[in-house]
Amino acid sequence: MVSAAARSTVAATLVFVASVLLIALDAPAWCVVIALGAATWRVLVAVGYIAPLKKFAGRRFLLGAFTAALVIAVAASFRTLNGLAAGTALLLVMGALKLLESRSRRDDGIVVGVALFMLLASALATQSLLRVPLYLLTVWGACAAIALIADRGGSLAPRAALRLAARALAMSIPLAAACFLFFPRVAGQFWALQRADQATSGLSDEMSPGSISRLANEYDPAFRVRFEDSPPPQAALYWRGPVLNDFDGFTWRRDRSRYYPGANLEMLGAPVRYRVSLEPTNQRWLFALDTVDQVSRRDAFMAPADRQLSVSEPITGTLSYDGVSYLATRNHGPLSTLGRRYETTLPLDRNPRARALALDLRARSGSDAQFARAVLDWFRDNGLEYTLEPGVTTLDSVDTTLFDSKRGFCGHFASSYATMMRAAGVPARVVTGYLGGEWNPVGGYYIVRQSDAHAWTEVWLDETGWTRIDPTAVVAPERLQRGIFDLLPDSLPATSMFLHNSVWLNRLEHLWDGANHWWQERVVEFNAGAQLDLLRDFGIDSPSWQHLGWAFAGGLVLWIAWVTLTLRRGVARVKPDRIGRAWIRVTRKLARIAPAREPAEGPMEYARRVGTHRPDLAARIDALASLYARLRFGREADHHQIAIFEREVRNLTL
Amino acid sequence: MPGRETVKTPEANVSDERVTGVFPVFPIKDALRRRMGAWARRRQGDDRLPIVISTRRVYILPTRAGFAFAGLVLVMLLAGLNYSNSVSLLITFLLGGFGMIAMHLTHRNLAGVALRTVAGIDAFVGEHGRLLVTLENSADTARLGLECEVAGGARAAVDVPAGGTVRADLGLSLVRRGRLDVDRITLSTRFPFGLFRAWTYVHVKTGLLAWPVPRGRRETPPEATSGGNTPAVHRVGDEEWAGLREFRSGDSPRQVAWGAYARGRGLLVKTYLSPAAHYRLFDLATVPGADLERRLEQLSAWIVAAHARGEHYGLRLAEQSLAPGAGNEHRQRCLNGLALYGSGEAW
Repeated sequence: MVSAAARSTVAATLVFVASVLLIALDAPAWCVVIALGAATWRVLVAVGYIAPLKKFAGRRFLLGAFTAALVIAVAASFRTLNGLAAGTALLLVMGALKLLESRSRRDDGIVVGVALFMLLASALATQSLLRVPLYLLTVWGACAAIALIADRGGSLAPRAALRLAARALAMSIPLAAACFLFFPRVAGQFWALQRADQATSGLSDEMSPGSISRLANEYDPAFRVRFEDSPPPQAALYWRGPVLNDFDGFTWRRDRSRYYPGANLEMLGAPVRYRVSLEPTNQRWLFALDTVDQVSRRDAFMAPADRQLSVSEPITGTLSYDGVSYLATRNHGPLSTLGRRYETTLPLDRNPRARALALDLRARSGSDAQFARAVLDWFRDNGLEYTLEPGVTTLDSVDTTLFDSKRGFCGHFASSYATMMRAAGVPARVVTGYLGGEWNPVGGYYIVRQSDAHAWTEVWLDETGWTRIDPTAVVAPERLQRGIFDLLPDSLPATSMFLHNSVWLNRLEHLWDGANHWWQERVVEFNAGAQLDLLRDFGIDSPSWQHLGWAFAGGLVLWIAWVTLTLRRGVARVKPDRIGRAWIRVTRKLARIAPAREPAEGPMEYARRVGTHRPDLAARIDALASLYARLRFGREADHHQIAIFEREVRNLTL
Repeated sequence: MPGRETVKTPEANVSDERVTGVFPVFPIKDALRRRMGAWARRRQGDDRLPIVISTRRVYILPTRAGFAFAGLVLVMLLAGLNYSNSVSLLITFLLGGFGMIAMHLTHRNLAGVALRTVAGIDAFVGEHGRLLVTLENSADTARLGLECEVAGGARAAVDVPAGGTVRADLGLSLVRRGRLDVDRITLSTRFPFGLFRAWTYVHVKTGLLAWPVPRGRRETPPEATSGGNTPAVHRVGDEEWAGLREFRSGDSPRQVAWGAYARGRGLLVKTYLSPAAHYRLFDLATVPGADLERRLEQLSAWIVAAHARGEHYGLRLAEQSLAPGAGNEHRQRCLNGLALYGSGEAW
């Protein structure tokens, strides 16, 4: 059996291990290895498999030097000690060192404290619903460990400690909920840590042949959209992302130096209101439906020429914003000369055949609009194939797509179309983004996945201004109605297809995604503003901090009253021993003939008092009480004597 | 001067008192504790046993671990607020609530416990005297990790089962001959999470005697003869029944007449007669020497030796004396006389 001291150490170390595993992915591997190694060693020492480190003269010095070396190692690998990642690594190695030198229960307590800090770091890094149960389990374990550390007598079994901790935590849930809703939050940060660089995901501000089809394999959500009213038709769900204006014959880029004022835009039709929850991309683009009028973020910037939305910092966490868009617009006034020049620039030495075809078609068309239609017709009639695997391409990528391989994905067609427009002097640009989305009936929102990535063009026509033309729509018209998974099943990974096709899994996935989205919208993004909105729902017209404070204080008072009432009955529910149980049975029986036993009333006094109520039973009750007194206060009672006592109690009839 | 060694609260010197960690590091801790004790004394007055610890007399403060836990929660709160990180705020609030529940649980663990009896068990100087404190738990839940403590450093941790009674055995180191007064028993608990310490003071007058160490090489005084029988407590080999007498502290539970107790006659002890033809008289006046303590120690040595041999002996200390007798009770009365000699207290 493990001793009480060992139990405390093992519990603390296990909690430490749990939180190390929680942040294992966010920390350098060598720190995790050191921490887990130290924890293993500590547990083995605690249960007696290994002898503890002997005390020797230079021990403290050695430990100090070791500490310094590890701190320097962390600082060197991160080039800073500020920042969540570096702080986490530092916590890991410091916790490991604490384990190496821990001896007392106080040290065990410190280890649990370090574990809770690591849990905090983990929660700061990831707030996903999936991890919440793990966080709660760790908190539970930590609380049980605290109980075991405090239990010096060793009378608390680990199971009892877990039960105690569970009870205490369960009772604190209402307070946690009240605090969460009403504890006044602050808007903005008062202290900023650096965040580690992360890989970007999703669309970037570059598009080469094949860069969109790479995304088509990814089933991950890019963002989720909830429409305030009824959603527009599927084919109108063009989510505009990076607008690309600079072409070198192979790759389209966004050149931010090509800045020109936009034309006056008139919004037509009814506004479409929606809320986007954008998954982290580590890039700065926001996505909005079609022509966006406004977004709810103050730090969002809208480029005047192409209404491209961006924010100042890379998006590292889920970001939500409300958008108002219009599906129809009209331009007033011509495109500026500068704009016309920028949007018609092409490298003169690339894609000669496409340029020649464009000039030919333009010469046969009466207007830019007719020319645009003629090129679309050409796209439709020349046997272009919509595929995820268009094969190799050359530097003259447009020529390859249109004349050699005749195969392409949306990016290829958009690039080719825009090139032909520009070659004929018609301003055109490539827009990347997403098309469509998957309706989640559970949550009532659209999931737009990376696989919905799309590219199309916008062409300046003097009558309508910037006009969306999607060449993919003529090559593969069904793309507008359905997602890529339905169109090109063979070219996609089997796992994604399986997920997509199985009705059961699909429904399960919708459920899970719905729960995630709810978590994201209602819990993760619950902030100072949402708190005030909540008060407004309660009927307070102009809520303020004071109202929050009152609500919080009220909740606290109610909770304390509830806790006091609930706990009135006692603490740990441990069953009384056999003697105690039998005696309680006696007092219950006797409660029918005399007032209950006073807390400080001894068994003999009690028996005497009961005897006055029923003189006929007095001798019997007295004998029982004295038997009880002998068993309880005398020498260790053996099983036989207790059995006799229990039989006497059973036989007591009133 | 021999006599009462008063380890009284609150004015007494408590420098050797074990650190109990109500306040972490401050040197003013002792002073605060003393003031707290004095205040509680004025507030509560003297107590009579048995006593049920009411919530009004349960005091509670965070322990060092509790302060550390609060600091941790505070840092987590600041981090959560700073980053508007809902999940870490949830965890923080959960832990904060846990801390408050821990306070309630600790308070509840102590409130309602009953202190039934306190009995001192005397011993020789240099040994450990004992203070037996009987705690009763009438609740239907166990009370774990109760600590019983008296000024002077003795402390015992007990678990009291639901509906059960437990005796806490406090060792008291006896350093000086005489009466060791205990007038305050501190009952405390940190169960279940050690984040808070709830405690209560029970002010009862009790104490125990420190007998002089049996030490000395002088020859035992010769036996004298006398007639008459004196009743004494049962010894092996003694046969003749002499009746019951009141229980006195120090009597073994084996000699208690439980049957009589069960009939409600209170705690009585069975005694037997034994023939006493010869006895020795131990007289302080006949012990030479300048140091009173050494002379008393010599008497103590004689008493212990005579008792071991099963002899009869009497004791004379200046104006008080004890007729010859034998047995545990007699030995104890004699030793008590030695302990109290010079204090002016009757024995």
